[in-house]
Amino acid sequence: MQESGNHRWGMVIDLNKCTGCGECVAACKVENNVAIVGAEESEMDRTMFWMDIITTHEGEYPDTEVTYFPRPCFHCDNPPCTKVCPVRATYRNDEGIVTQIFPQCIGCRYCMAACPYTVKSFNWFAPDWPEEMNSSLNPDVSVRPVGVVEKCTFCIHRLQKAKELARAEDRELREGDYLPACSESCPTDAISFGDLNDPHSEVNKLAKSLRAFRMLEELGTEPKVYYLSKVE
Amino acid sequence: MHDIRKYLVTLVKIMAIFMLWGSSWAQESFQPVQFNHDYHLGDLGLTCLDCHKNAKHQERASIPNIDICSECHEDEFDNVEADKVFEYISFETAIPWKRVHRVPDHAYFSHRRHVQLGEIDCIVCHGDVEQMAAPFERPFVNMDMNWCLDCHEKSQISDECSDCHR
Repeated sequence: MQESGNHRWGMVIDLNKCTGCGECVAACKVENNVAIVGAEESEMDRTMFWMDIITTHEGEYPDTEVTYFPRPCFHCDNPPCTKVCPVRATYRNDEGIVTQIFPQCIGCRYCMAACPYTVKSFNWFAPDWPEEMNSSLNPDVSVRPVGVVEKCTFCIHRLQKAKELARAEDRELREGDYLPACSESCPTDAISFGDLNDPHSEVNKLAKSLRAFRMLEELGTEPKVYYLSKVE
Repeated sequence: MHDIRKYLVTLVKIMAIFMLWGSSWAQESFQPVQFNHDYHLGDLGLTCLDCHKNAKHQERASIPNIDICSECHEDEFDNVEADKVFEYISFETAIPWKRVHRVPDHAYFSHRRHVQLGEIDCIVCHGDVEQMAAPFERPFVNMDMNWCLDCHEKSQISDECSDCHR
């Protein structure tokens, strides 16, 4: 692993391995206290997912090819969302993570309009969980109030915890110390995560694979989430 | 003359009511047990980490309860407050301490980061607890963001937003 500060965190998702089970979506919801939106609001496109699954169909029935694209925030190296934020509630940090500072957000939603991948969600209402679930919220992630934008943070709280632990044990951060909830929970190991700057990391090698591509690469946003295309 | 006297008597009565009300209010203690930090730290020679066991290695310092108190309070002592503790232990009931130090929900604070990695003494944030004969009723300082940033700037520690807000 590289010295702290030289990291460039990224993700590689193998479409061959993804079965579309939705485990990553559920893990993300629970880890990050993402609000559950009812059917009525969902119909108005107000669903809230930090990790979503986009499903594509190719071919005519019965020879249909279904592909599942798990879709987190792509944490672009050249992010359009941060450039339009008037209050610096979202910015790209030194390690390439595009963070979202909820108490700073004024809810103007410029970033939502700027993001070509539509990864951001707006809190139209104050989040509401059944009483019994309140004690199961993750204390490491704040519950967002009404009127702010939110999105995947690559579980940055896990990075900070991993760094703290590594420093407390007087050692370098090792590969696998820091994994977002989606990557950790994937039952088929379709989601790899690590340091793209580390020449020995799995993601570094996978990102250089001939199968690797990124969403809407032509826009020049330089996403740090790579997909490995499906092969027979 | 008579009027002035009457006025003075009324004034004294009002003052007496306020004093009585004030003293009765003061007697109602904020915490369930009047824990004496001065005695435990000074006379008995305990350290903060003996009871707040997680303060060095975890994010939350932990407020000690009967599991830790019972290590020493095996019998009744000649002290009303200690007897209260013994009663909680006997009935296996948790002491309902009221939490005093709390950062807002949108801010994250880790004791490990400050105590173990930053090597900051407890007294910097919690005051001279060793001199305190009563438990906390309010924080030693107003723990707002400016107070945090003052120290971060002086110590040249990161002030990146996402380090504390998530």
